[in-house]
Amino acid sequence: MILEPIVPNVLSVRRLPNADPAMIRAYGGDPERHRSLGLVTVDQDDPTYVALDEATKHAPVDVIFAKSFYAGSAHASGRLSGEILGVFGATEPESIEHALEACLRCLQHDACFYDADGKGTVTVFPHVIASLGEYLSKEAGLPPGEPMAYLVAPPIEASIALDAALKAAAVRAVKVMPPPTETNFSAAWLTGTLDECEAAAMAYAAAVVEVAGAPKR
Amino acid sequence: MSRTRQLIASLRDALGSAEPLPPPPPLPDVPPPPARVYTPRPEKRPFAEEAAKHTTALVGIGHVGTRYATEVVLQFQAELAVAHAAVGALLPDDWAAQNGFVGIKSRVNDHREFLLRPDLGRRLDDDSLQIVRSKCTRNPDVQIIVADGLSAVACMGSGKALYEAVARACGARGLSVGTPLCARFARVWLEDEIGQEVGAKVAMILLGERPGLGTGDGLSAYVVYDPRCGKTDGDRNMISNIHPRGTPIEDAARRLALFAAAMIDQRTSGVTLDLARLGEAGERAPRPPQVRQRLVEHG
Repeated sequence: MILEPIVPNVLSVRRLPNADPAMIRAYGGDPERHRSLGLVTVDQDDPTYVALDEATKHAPVDVIFAKSFYAGSAHASGRLSGEILGVFGATEPESIEHALEACLRCLQHDACFYDADGKGTVTVFPHVIASLGEYLSKEAGLPPGEPMAYLVAPPIEASIALDAALKAAAVRAVKVMPPPTETNFSAAWLTGTLDECEAAAMAYAAAVVEVAGAPKR
Repeated sequence: MSRTRQLIASLRDALGSAEPLPPPPPLPDVPPPPARVYTPRPEKRPFAEEAAKHTTALVGIGHVGTRYATEVVLQFQAELAVAHAAVGALLPDDWAAQNGFVGIKSRVNDHREFLLRPDLGRRLDDDSLQIVRSKCTRNPDVQIIVADGLSAVACMGSGKALYEAVARACGARGLSVGTPLCARFARVWLEDEIGQEVGAKVAMILLGERPGLGTGDGLSAYVVYDPRCGKTDGDRNMISNIHPRGTPIEDAARRLALFAAAMIDQRTSGVTLDLARLGEAGERAPRPPQVRQRLVEHG
């Protein structure tokens, strides 16, 4: 059946309660404020960005590192690598616990790719963030609390669908990441009112399904 | 459920509902089941074989695969048909007169009502009450009534013979017997009203009993002391299965007359009647084991 959720697999969850300052600096953190780290790897990168951002709304943590791996989880360097490594940094290990809890809950129940062709060969991520956290708001250059549509699909589908989404709703493109990205998907961040973001995301998903069903029309 | 997942679910419904159902896959060729022939297996256990000689029950009938043999099924159906026919049969209007009885009937008017309204079958209708009051001998020792009950076939078959045997046996004991009556659409308790009207000491009704498998010809006899409306089944003594394969008529008649004499002697009947005082005479005579009668021949 089309548009079934594909729930992300969390491949590893580890804590470093008192990490070495050299390592913290190397990953982009501030050793004064980010003594305690929490690390996750997941086999879907974009749901994880959303989940990392979600966690910043639940605990006083910063996302000091989050990067997708080249060519995606189908070509991972190891069983536990997946598609992304995300690292939280905080002063207290307890904050890391709360952040990880929120992050895993979001991955399990909210953010996920969807099957766009009923065979799992084309996937789409038409996610609506009702209220941005600190991490993605900084990345997108929007104030925290704004709604944002986080839209990802493979290159051709994403290109057609982005056009459809922008025409379907009164939204503004904040950032468009044309292919190739690390995982060879294509992504777009749109903002507007929450209703318009939702309408754009649905138009995006419908367009991806349409392209997947008729690639040569 | 998260907002995005809800939205996607409704989008899926919207997209999916527009698509026609895929055509059904063609059915594969279903091979016919292999032909299997079962031969009847006779019962081999000696216990069942021996038991079958002593009962009309369905024991020792063997099997075919997991089922009954055709012959057993046919036999069963024939026996059931005998029972159905006996229940459905009607006692002709003139049977009583032709056989020397005074004909009366209960308040029931047709056969269906007879089966559905036992209460009406226990009371005489107005005409019959007049007949009983005007034609019957008053105050006999024993008032005998022949009736159809649930098997008119049995009544027509051996009702008269049983009546004559009982009347003879009563006479031999010095008991006076009332006017012979034959009641249509009668239930057992009809004897209470008749006995009460004629003032009999003992009332005795001989009627066709509820047919069983293969036995549509069984008669039962119910005897009550001091009959009057309101007597219960606890006040009655009875003999059932009066037919050639069960209790023979002569044996039944002997014991019925004995019951009547004992009731008049002890001035009671039913559960309070002391049968032990009758000694061996009151015992049922030993009888040969019943054997299933073959009603159909097969093959």
